[in-house]
Amino acid sequence: MAQVPVQTIHRDPQLFYWILFPITIVMILTGVLRHYATVLMASAPKKLDRKTMREQRALLHGINVRGNYHVLSKPSFTARRDALITAYESGAYLKDPDARGQPPPNPMSDPSAMEGMMGMMKNQMAMIIPNTLIMSWVNAFFSGYVIMKLPFPLTVKFKSMLQAGVATKDMDPRWMSSISWYFLCIFGLQSVFNFLLGSDNAANQMAQQMTQMGPQAGQMFGPGIDPNKQFLAEAENLAVIEHHSVLDGVEQRLLEAVKV
Amino acid sequence: MVQPVLYPPTQLSPAAALALSQQAPSILRSSPSTVSSSPFSALFAGSEKPELWLQYENLILSCLRTGDEQAARQCLQRLVARFGEDNERVQALRGLVKEAEAKNNSDLEGVLKEYDQILSDNDTNIPIVKRRIALLRSMGRISDATSALVQLLEFSPTDAEAWSELSDTYLSQGLYPQAIYAMEEVLVLAPNAWNIHARLGELQYMAATAPGVTQGGYQKYMAEAIKRFSRSIELCDDYLRGYYGLKLVSKKLLSDGAKATKLPEDSEFSFPDTNTIERLNELATAKLAEIVRHSTAHDRGWRGYNEAEIAAAQELLSEDESASSAIKR
Repeated sequence: MAQVPVQTIHRDPQLFYWILFPITIVMILTGVLRHYATVLMASAPKKLDRKTMREQRALLHGINVRGNYHVLSKPSFTARRDALITAYESGAYLKDPDARGQPPPNPMSDPSAMEGMMGMMKNQMAMIIPNTLIMSWVNAFFSGYVIMKLPFPLTVKFKSMLQAGVATKDMDPRWMSSISWYFLCIFGLQSVFNFLLGSDNAANQMAQQMTQMGPQAGQMFGPGIDPNKQFLAEAENLAVIEHHSVLDGVEQRLLEAVKV
Repeated sequence: MVQPVLYPPTQLSPAAALALSQQAPSILRSSPSTVSSSPFSALFAGSEKPELWLQYENLILSCLRTGDEQAARQCLQRLVARFGEDNERVQALRGLVKEAEAKNNSDLEGVLKEYDQILSDNDTNIPIVKRRIALLRSMGRISDATSALVQLLEFSPTDAEAWSELSDTYLSQGLYPQAIYAMEEVLVLAPNAWNIHARLGELQYMAATAPGVTQGGYQKYMAEAIKRFSRSIELCDDYLRGYYGLKLVSKKLLSDGAKATKLPEDSEFSFPDTNTIERLNELATAKLAEIVRHSTAHDRGWRGYNEAEIAAAQELLSEDESASSAIKR
């Protein structure tokens, strides 16, 4: 098969100054603006009242006892276990003991839960609005022609990504259109924002989406979860522990491990 | 190497605290008093670091220890300017400065009233709750402090600092079982803390040697003490307090003879046999001698031991020697 001739397209060098450069600058500036907008809109974390704190920490206490029971001797572990199980099963640590056994309230009607959702909505908005605006701006002014050639070869698969808005079948995928440069900026500016704003910035929406997909740490005490059920489950976990102590035979271990 | 101003100030020796507070004017001059939040200055001056505010906090504590209240006030002003009057930590630090400046008991009562006022607005302000407890304790109202601690732990049972303070309070009243219980709670929260294991061993030893303890109780405490000290050494090699306690307990058990090592049926831990106790005693003696030798010679890798602890270990060893030479004679 004959060698495919290298495609050459004569481009105006001014394309660089009037398209690539403005798009990059605008993307960076919106990122910085979005960071400060998120900082301004963020609501202070809500303070726990005493009863909620008691409920949550009592549960954590039980989890700690369950996880680290091996540091205790058997009598002291049994005493703790009995006390915790009795308190858990009688609902002594519950925020409002009267609501036991009732179905959990609708999370939509809980004002504190609504606040959390509003915060999420605000973040989503801060991402979507500027992105839509910039994309339509790029589309309106710079669509329909290629602006640069990448310095490395690519396969045909990248055509749809890099030449969005340029409908030519035979063009080498190395040629890039302006809308593709915009997408590259979205994905590639994270390190620039890290440099400008510090590593915990809110400028890049990709990082935020990652954290939303990851496991949610605050879920344990989230809205819509019945603490009574959590307590009962924890009581059961405690009840099935078969106790052994890390102190059993520790002298022998020590004498074998340490040589003078 | 961490700067001394970033160390936890409670672990500084008096000399180090004095040196630090003498540097206070130069530190105050060289550190920025506020950090601008505008993006342009952040670009050029670098962003705000938590170390800066930690440094001010530690400096307050060191300056108060050495009586330099003016510098402490200055640090406090900068913290207030950054975090506001209502921040919980800042409130606690301001209370601390006021306590240090109090001239007599009625001033302290005034500070206590302020704490109560803050707590009536917000009863989950844990730094202030803790300051109030510490103030009650230093004013000698031990039982008030104990009940306040119990209240705090009732709604926040995962606070290791409060549990260990409670243990210390009970110990000062001679209530050994309660002190041991509270210290065990600390261990539940921090299962691999060797210093807490050794501390628990010390509590067990104190409980065993306290007057009025029954024979069964004595054996129970001693059996657990020897295990706690062993565990602390297992977690931290060359831990001086662990070896010291191990030697103390094993020596006592050996001098009791074989009759004391029989335990009641229902107890959890059994004593190791006499041979093992002897070997533990030998090990502890050899290790203590090694630590003392290296530490007094200032060898590399053996620095950082507390001088008072080294001196106590030396004393224990020399006691042992004089006893054995007396037997030979």
